[in-house]
Amino acid sequence: MSFRTKVFLSITTTVVVSVWIVASVVSTLVTNSFERQDTQRTAALVSQFRSEFDRRSAEVARRVDAIANSESVQRLTVNLGASKIDTAQYYDAAQALAKEQSLSFLELVGPEGSIISSAEWPARFGYKESWLEQPVDWKAQGVFLQREELADGPALGLMTVRTLNAADGQLYVAGGQRLDKAFLDSLPPAPGMNIRLVRDFDAPPPSDTPASKLAADLIRDVRQRPRELSLTGSDVTLTAIPLLGRDKQLLAILMVENSRAELANLKTYIQGTAWIAGSAGVLLGLGFSFWAASRVTQPLLALASNVRDVASGNWDARARIDSADEVGQLAQDFNRMTEQLVEQRDRMIQAERVAAWRELARRLAHELKNPLFPLQITIENLQRARQTSPQQFDEVFRESTTTLLAELDNLKTIVGRFSDFARMPAPHPEPVNLNQVVQEVAHLFDAQMQAVDRPRIVKILQLDDNLPLVPADPEQIRRALRNLVLNALDAMPNGGTLTLRTQRLDGPVDRKVALEVSDTGAGLTPEECARLFTPYYTTKQHGTGLGLAIVQSVVSDHEGTITVRSEPSKGATFRIELRA
Amino acid sequence: MRLRVWAWLALSSVWLGAITGATRPRYGGAITVELSNASILLDPMGARGHLSAPITETLVRVGARGVIEPQLALAWQHEPDNKRWRFSLRPKVIFHDGEPLTASSATPALLTALKRKYGDVTVTAGGQTLIVQFEHAMPNLLAELARPETAIFRKSDTNPMIGTGPFRVTAWEPGRRLSLAAFEDYWGGRPFLDSIVIDLGTGSGRADVFDIPFGPTRRVVPEGTHIWVSPASELIALLSANPQSTLLQALSLAIDRAPIVNVLTQRRGEAAFGILPEWLSGYAFLFQAAPDLAHAKQLISQLRLPSINLTYPAKDSFARSVADRIALNARDAGITIQPTANPGGSLTIVRWPLESADAAAELSRLLGLLGAAEHAASIDPANPETLFEVERAMLEDHRIIPLVYLPELYGLSARVHNWEAAQKGDPFRLNLENLWVDQ
Repeated sequence: MSFRTKVFLSITTTVVVSVWIVASVVSTLVTNSFERQDTQRTAALVSQFRSEFDRRSAEVARRVDAIANSESVQRLTVNLGASKIDTAQYYDAAQALAKEQSLSFLELVGPEGSIISSAEWPARFGYKESWLEQPVDWKAQGVFLQREELADGPALGLMTVRTLNAADGQLYVAGGQRLDKAFLDSLPPAPGMNIRLVRDFDAPPPSDTPASKLAADLIRDVRQRPRELSLTGSDVTLTAIPLLGRDKQLLAILMVENSRAELANLKTYIQGTAWIAGSAGVLLGLGFSFWAASRVTQPLLALASNVRDVASGNWDARARIDSADEVGQLAQDFNRMTEQLVEQRDRMIQAERVAAWRELARRLAHELKNPLFPLQITIENLQRARQTSPQQFDEVFRESTTTLLAELDNLKTIVGRFSDFARMPAPHPEPVNLNQVVQEVAHLFDAQMQAVDRPRIVKILQLDDNLPLVPADPEQIRRALRNLVLNALDAMPNGGTLTLRTQRLDGPVDRKVALEVSDTGAGLTPEECARLFTPYYTTKQHGTGLGLAIVQSVVSDHEGTITVRSEPSKGATFRIELRA
Repeated sequence: MRLRVWAWLALSSVWLGAITGATRPRYGGAITVELSNASILLDPMGARGHLSAPITETLVRVGARGVIEPQLALAWQHEPDNKRWRFSLRPKVIFHDGEPLTASSATPALLTALKRKYGDVTVTAGGQTLIVQFEHAMPNLLAELARPETAIFRKSDTNPMIGTGPFRVTAWEPGRRLSLAAFEDYWGGRPFLDSIVIDLGTGSGRADVFDIPFGPTRRVVPEGTHIWVSPASELIALLSANPQSTLLQALSLAIDRAPIVNVLTQRRGEAAFGILPEWLSGYAFLFQAAPDLAHAKQLISQLRLPSINLTYPAKDSFARSVADRIALNARDAGITIQPTANPGGSLTIVRWPLESADAAAELSRLLGLLGAAEHAASIDPANPETLFEVERAMLEDHRIIPLVYLPELYGLSARVHNWEAAQKGDPFRLNLENLWVDQ
């Protein structure tokens, strides 16, 4: 990941997180404020409901008192004392009385508990109203909630009962007002609030909305334990207030519904703003990252370019110092380091040159010393034979000249090898079938490997049939391979196995071929492996140390690589990899 | 002493004179009548009642004992096959416009009325003789001719109804008022009253005669008003669109008619267990049965009961009260009934006014309303048992569940006399011709 990307991500993340935190804080504060207001409004509405409840209770009591004290009811009470009174004539009396006093419910019930007249359900005359016969001080009971059965279903009423003494018992005047939607509608409306009366607890929810499910849960909880309870959903807050009857039984639930739409809209607005701010932050991060790149990453990029230059061999590369900050200090250090590296490189090259010259001098001295010593001895023998035995001089001369010529040939050979190494030509690449080259080279050494006067060496060729053609100079490749085979044969004076192997290498980026030459000789130590390709280094008694140097030179000129793996007494394997 | 005797005799004579003067009918005077039904018409074909009774007459009429009596026809004969009938008209009868009643003047009204009901009728006029010819047998023709729909009357541009009755129309404001005057040339003799004013759709209770409809809102009856109750003249019953069901049997057992009679009709009505009232059939008591809620519950215990709509006549508060009470009774048995004024309920409350004192003719007519006219063929007027069997069959499959019979109630002021005697004729018409009033 580039530094610019990191800067971009850092700035964007910072902005987005900041916006998110601010939005969350604002949203939380708004939610808390809204819910506080919500609670206050609900409490106010409930308080209003209770006030209205009390006011209407007093009104109901007053009106039922008025009915109980009315002339018609008093007359009925007196007539009830008369024997064999026909109460049928009063069966519609309650309707007129209830209408007069604007009551929803009014029943005149005789001493036996039978309804004489019912305003809310006129057809119920003659039916028993057993709850009135309970031993209750109805005056003290005051106004209470009562579930009234009506023709079109149960209803809830604010009821009160008055008793009048008749001759054979009591006349009950039970009246009240219906607690219904009209009652709720009389409460002061509050925006976003809705109140309703739940009487049928087992009724299925009107819809499958979350609010309906919430209401169902609330009703279930309040039914289990009647108490004021609130539940908050995603779009609504519901508060349930249980309405209890005379015997503390749950008759209805006042459901106050507070819409959270306003809050939801506000949250949506905050989220929208946060999204816009976040998006702006991303854009800002993008712009700032470019600015930072030009201001901050540009010197680093320039420095990285300088590093790449140095790595590619341009030791003259220098970083520009534009500031005195950390980046400027880094550029200064880079320049100092580069200068030191150049100095060290120069010193190393000089040292290597000296070492190479020394090695060359040592090798030349060693190589030349061997033929020079016989030359010196031979010439001294000639001088001695001239002085001491002239009669044998001719014979000595002949032998000595033969020896001198042989040694001079040897010197010429040595000089030729050095000359060859010095005269390595540039390769002329052409498509080469490496398997064919391997087979040709191996064939050259067949006679040597199968010679009867030396231990037998077995040749094994493991050639990959799918080997692609390789762009190479075939003569130089043959020369390198000959050197490797020669080395391998020299490493197996007691015989062994020579293995020549080719292999196709398909890499993810490019395709290569591998050529391996393995022997089963004495092997090499790690130190020997490390110095093996140094010119003029040899492990052989009479080697010049140029064979592997030439191989490495050829491989290097073909932009290939050569490696060796070996362990003492386990032979050695040289592996050349060339680009196909 | 003698003076005292003479004085006592003189006072007794005055007192007796006063007594006999108070009870002796007097000519003259006018009465006002208030009827709550504003949609009542003059025309006897009016579906919601008519006011033709004091104005028009029929060829025959049903007497107080249910026997056909002569009216405009003095005599009649029929062929053995009951297809051809000959009527001899009463002589010296004239219409309110002075035209004498002849077979020719009677034919148009009679033919129109009969053709409306029977298409295959022809009426032939000859002097004072009317010959009525049917393609099919008409054994009940006399009962049919006693119905007000076959009244003989005419219309003119200035008079909406010119009949032969004791009163003639002097003014007619449909829906508001009918003014009648005594017909001096009435063949039965001038009526006592000079005039009658009938106000429609009012209920002040200050009239000499006013009807008292049944309903929760009772009419205020002034002090001293006499209330006259007619024999049962209307059947309130429950009809089912799906007879012969266990549900209807259970419902029939659940209905308690006593509270309806005692409270809703204020004991004026009569519990109905049969189609015809006892006074008409003589066997209605045989259908009486007490409510049996336990049996009703048992019957429906295995049923899956839907909610049933019970349709009652719209704007009929009394019928609604009955429907509510039935719904309550049904609820006690576990049957859910929803009273409604909207038509289309599987149960319907009907109010059927009785129109004839002839039991066989009335039952036949009611069977027709019930959609079981084919059963009328089993009725033999001469054999009352056939009426009972037909009625029992109707009740047993619960096609109809009779609930209550209602009488007609009239409030009468103290100055109105001879009401009882006047109503002893046709019980299904308002007979005003024999009334007289104190002046």
